[in-house]
Amino acid sequence: MTEPDDRQLRDALKQSFPPVKTELRRDLWSDVLRRLDYHPIRVPWYDWALVGLSAAMLLAFPRLFLVFAYHL
Amino acid sequence: MDLLQRFTHGEIDAFETLVRQFQGDIYGWIVRIVRDPGTAEDLTVETLWRVYRARHRFRPDGNFGAWARRIATNLAIDHLRRNRPEQSFPMEPAGVPQPDPLVQRETQERIQQAFRRLPAKLQVAAMLALVEELPYDEIASALGTSMGAVKLRVFLAVCILRRRLSRAGIRPE
Repeated sequence: MTEPDDRQLRDALKQSFPPVKTELRRDLWSDVLRRLDYHPIRVPWYDWALVGLSAAMLLAFPRLFLVFAYHL
Repeated sequence: MDLLQRFTHGEIDAFETLVRQFQGDIYGWIVRIVRDPGTAEDLTVETLWRVYRARHRFRPDGNFGAWARRIATNLAIDHLRRNRPEQSFPMEPAGVPQPDPLVQRETQERIQQAFRRLPAKLQVAAMLALVEELPYDEIASALGTSMGAVKLRVFLAVCILRRRLSRAGIRPE
């Protein structure tokens, strides 16, 4: 095969396969996590609010601890 | 403990850092081979999943990027094998001038089709060497083979492609 032949084929291939954008359009981490089926333990905000409220109540009214202990 | 060691121990935070650092490179590599952004994204996710599953086989003093790229290349080759067009294209008389843009577009599609019918490993080598014009040593590293083997694959791809195109009456201009 001659050099000009090679160049012709290369040019024809380049025309048939125009350049592609090689930059990633979005972050794929969430897709990877889904693929891994990895579920980090998440505490919802209302649970944190409840913990905070309970702690505040205990600090303000220490005797309430007995009521908590009774219900636990 | 450094990032790669933490990754091999299965720490998800270390893996997340590596994903954010290398996802663009892996995607860029795959899209050059498969030429479709959606498919390349799917294959990138699949590559990263396999990277995580194979973390025990990775040596922390190794090159993470090169290792991930090799996994990505193997996945891209599997994808090309699965999606290889079965039917050949219709024959046309050889040497017909094709000045019409529509006809030229059709010719380009037929060249694409002929190319996609090459064995997957030849396709990858030829695509990266001839279309993307990447250095042979880079292609060899990603394919896990020697530069000589890559050159041979490119040569074979060109020979097969030229014969098929000639048989179909297509002459590259």
